[in-house]
Amino acid sequence: MTGSLTLPYPPLAHGGPPPGTPGPGGMPRLLPESGAVPVDLASHLAGHCAFRFARGREDLLREAEAAGLTGRGGAAFPVARKLAAAAKARAAPVVVGNGAEGEPASRKDRSLLWISPHLVLDGLQLAAQLAGSRATVLYVQRNERLHARLAGAIAERAAAGIDAASVELVPAPDRFLAGEESALAGRLAGRPALPAYRPARGLPRLAPGRAALVQNVETLAHLALIARYGAAWFRTAGTAAEPGSMLVTLHLADGRASVAEVPLGVSMADLLGLDPGRARPAMAGPAGAAPAGAGPANAVIPSTAGPVQAVLVGGYHGAWLPAAEAARLPLANAALHPLGAAVGAGVLAALPAGRCGLAETARVARYLALESAGQCGPCFNGLPRIAVALERLAGPRPDRSARADLERWAGLVTGRGACHHPDGSVRFIRSALRVFAAEAALHEQGRCAGTDTRPFLPVPASAPASEEDWS
Amino acid sequence: MTGITHTTALWYASRATGVVTMLLLTAVVVLGILVNRQGRLPGLPAFAVTGLHRNVSLLAVAFLVIHVVTAIVDPFVTIGLAAAALPFASAYKPFWLGLGAISLDLIAALILTSLARARIGRRAWRGIHWLAYAAWPLAILHSLGSSTGARSGLELSVLAGCVLATAAGLTWRLSHAARQVPRAGRAAAALREAPAREAMR
Repeated sequence: MTGSLTLPYPPLAHGGPPPGTPGPGGMPRLLPESGAVPVDLASHLAGHCAFRFARGREDLLREAEAAGLTGRGGAAFPVARKLAAAAKARAAPVVVGNGAEGEPASRKDRSLLWISPHLVLDGLQLAAQLAGSRATVLYVQRNERLHARLAGAIAERAAAGIDAASVELVPAPDRFLAGEESALAGRLAGRPALPAYRPARGLPRLAPGRAALVQNVETLAHLALIARYGAAWFRTAGTAAEPGSMLVTLHLADGRASVAEVPLGVSMADLLGLDPGRARPAMAGPAGAAPAGAGPANAVIPSTAGPVQAVLVGGYHGAWLPAAEAARLPLANAALHPLGAAVGAGVLAALPAGRCGLAETARVARYLALESAGQCGPCFNGLPRIAVALERLAGPRPDRSARADLERWAGLVTGRGACHHPDGSVRFIRSALRVFAAEAALHEQGRCAGTDTRPFLPVPASAPASEEDWS
Repeated sequence: MTGITHTTALWYASRATGVVTMLLLTAVVVLGILVNRQGRLPGLPAFAVTGLHRNVSLLAVAFLVIHVVTAIVDPFVTIGLAAAALPFASAYKPFWLGLGAISLDLIAALILTSLARARIGRRAWRGIHWLAYAAWPLAILHSLGSSTGARSGLELSVLAGCVLATAAGLTWRLSHAARQVPRAGRAAAALREAPAREAMR
């Protein structure tokens, strides 16, 4: 991957009307047209109407429910249900905007915070009003430029005196699990950002009697628009079951990455520039035909950024799909769930032809294993073993036990962690075994269809070595 | 004592299940120590030890139930239902049976809290699980005191074996506590240890 993770961000893939004049279904909603950044407070307020649909707490709650807004951090939990729980809590919970974005392949939260910080801060205030809270936290990945910019935006609002609740900016450690709710709660309570055991129900707690209402920063930005333009407007984009728009991070086959805002249910072929009409059977490696018994290799689908063999949907806890399958599917959980995939936090990566999908997955699997918080035995013992078994499969002529070891350990770790790290990692790895089955069969013969060994999926180099790395 | 008759059968059953329960409880305690320190058993991944600990616990509970029920039903000595759960309420050997009753109560608390573990939270569950360290020695003393046969011979050597096994487990645990891998480095340590038979391309 050539795209750097530093600011500023690549141009947006979609143009459209600027915020404040959202036409039916018009995109983008959260992000102004490229070139219009930065959005200062004055132009933000001038570009938007008042909160016409949030005159009272019930008002906003009803509108959020009617809009069918779901969490954009990856889990797609109904926002109205969380807000209602917060409104009913005995003591007002701390409202937290979650911009940890620990997923290395995702850039959408930092893009949103960089380009439209005031929309997120609006949403934070609305949620605080609803929860009856006077204190909010913006939990954002460590990045000096981004933090400076957000501190400026917060100061601008304080000077204008438009906010009722205070906003504290808290840096999130650069860890995959830093944004997991209980890890976030730990960090805000002054401990390392490690996932914790807690009862599965209700809001996470920072301290006894002090709960937190955690929403992804993009979710809060959507809430700020729903409070202005209403549920009916929100539903003019997306599908009936999954309404609205979402931010996606696209990794195209040529290595370019960008952030775009798209309606849910949009065709993945359109997003990645795939042209399924011109599919051609895959070359089964340098030596010719595909080996028997593994099924045909995945068809290669041409795209505007080069030929594509497979698409990773939903990031590193997501799933691989053959390119031909991804090209005929919409970006919606209704279509993806039956295939074991999910929209997640909107990461889509088109793996170009000529790369080894198993080697790519093995590299990410090693990273995921190292990002284990080291608390649950199944996770910190199981994931490294699985990662090493996958590395054996990614190499030439793996011994027969590698595949069996991998399946056995995958079954043993699933559902056994305090958080969903083992489950998500195993889902991702298992999808690779399905989608790259023909590649695995080639490896058994000592061959590989990959001709380009440069890494494609972004993987951070640093692994946690001490508790410091989690705070 | 002249062979097993219909009157002595219950008495023998109670004693036999008592001995088996003691052995199983010892296995549970030792496995619990291994679980807590991420210990290993040959041929088992570390996380499978947790499942073994849980399953042997359930087996021990099954034998414990038979041990208690046969002791109550046995007409040879009168131990009331109340004396099985209430310490020192028994007419027969009130002190030694009382220790067994306390041990039984503690084990019941462990089971109930483990079943409700998701609801009560990890910290409370962990606190109550420390009671296991009280239940086990109480059970040992109960075996020694209430059984006349345990003063010598086979039963005494079984009990001695139980004590030795637990002592060895505790020693291992205390020596390992000092050089435990901090959680931030555990996955990396496991990755280094995992057998990398073939290097990646």
